[in-house]
Amino acid sequence: MGQPELQAWEVFRQEKEGDPMRHGGSVMAPDAELAVHYAREMFGRRQESVRLWVVRRADVHDLSDPDLLQPPLDRSFKKPGGYVMRDKLAAARERSGRPKPRGTAR
Amino acid sequence: MTIGADLVPATRNALSLLLLAMADDEFVIGFSDSEWTGIAPMLEEDVAMSSLAQDELGHAQALYRLLAEVVDDGRDADAIAYDRPPEGYYHARLLDHPRGDWADTIARRYLYDTADAIRLDALAASSFEPLRDLVGKIRREERYHLMHVTAWLERLGGSPGEPRDRLVAALGRLAPDAASVLAPLPNELSLVMAGVIEGGADELDARWRSKIGPVLGRLELPMPPALADPATARTGHSDAFRSLWGEFNAVRRSEPGVTW
Repeated sequence: MGQPELQAWEVFRQEKEGDPMRHGGSVMAPDAELAVHYAREMFGRRQESVRLWVVRRADVHDLSDPDLLQPPLDRSFKKPGGYVMRDKLAAARERSGRPKPRGTAR
Repeated sequence: MTIGADLVPATRNALSLLLLAMADDEFVIGFSDSEWTGIAPMLEEDVAMSSLAQDELGHAQALYRLLAEVVDDGRDADAIAYDRPPEGYYHARLLDHPRGDWADTIARRYLYDTADAIRLDALAASSFEPLRDLVGKIRREERYHLMHVTAWLERLGGSPGEPRDRLVAALGRLAPDAASVLAPLPNELSLVMAGVIEGGADELDARWRSKIGPVLGRLELPMPPALADPATARTGHSDAFRSLWGEFNAVRRSEPGVTW
């Protein structure tokens, strides 16, 4: 029997409770159990993570087709840039007579 | 005031030897395993084994510090750790074996970590509070060590051909000395009576065997035999240890007394 095949595993980490899971990097391992151990060593041994997700890279659905993601026609009208809300919002507040909310307290 | 001053002298001496045994065990396996740094079978494992080795040195440092306070003879943790001749070390004979190949390292770690876990369990409710507190922290790290080494034992043991052959050969070399970790310490009865440790050596040995039995059985690997010579379980060290000793205190010996 030869060496077990090494595979790539993608590691996502959460820095503190409530944070989103962010991609940290990847490890090579022959199976999920060792992949989790190695993820712990690479991305958690200095207490920098409260949670790790380890996903086999082959299980990730990849989309990088430029026809789908970078179509050649002008799509600037789909972007919110150029549409300044601030003045319209201020005018609407003026009309309603309600002050600008401060923080979350009501 | 000296820590543990309220203990009767016999118990304090026995406690000192227990701390010395535990600290030297962690120190020696930590240094031994750190020899894999840079040459482990794969990069991820290199980082993992180096990190485990560092953990063991951290445990050794904490145990030496506690020992220094109990002994209270002016020596600090570093002095105890480094300034002894090889004959003065009190680690288990299992750790006298050279690092060997990867299978030797995994076999030794498995036999040591499982025995160490039993010893830590028996100290988790120790009447000696500073040790109880420290053991609580050490146990949390050792949990991972056990998971890691068991995963490797299963992979080597469960892969016919070279991996399994090498593991079986390593166990053949190491198993006769495996029970040295839990061999009786001088005056251990006073520790049991004072509630410092829960259970004597025979009891701990039985617990250890009932823990590893199912794992080794499932992998069809032999159980370690009873220790042939318990009286020398922690003395009369090997040439392999003497050469490790020359490595780990080379820097300290190069300029005695300086602060690094």
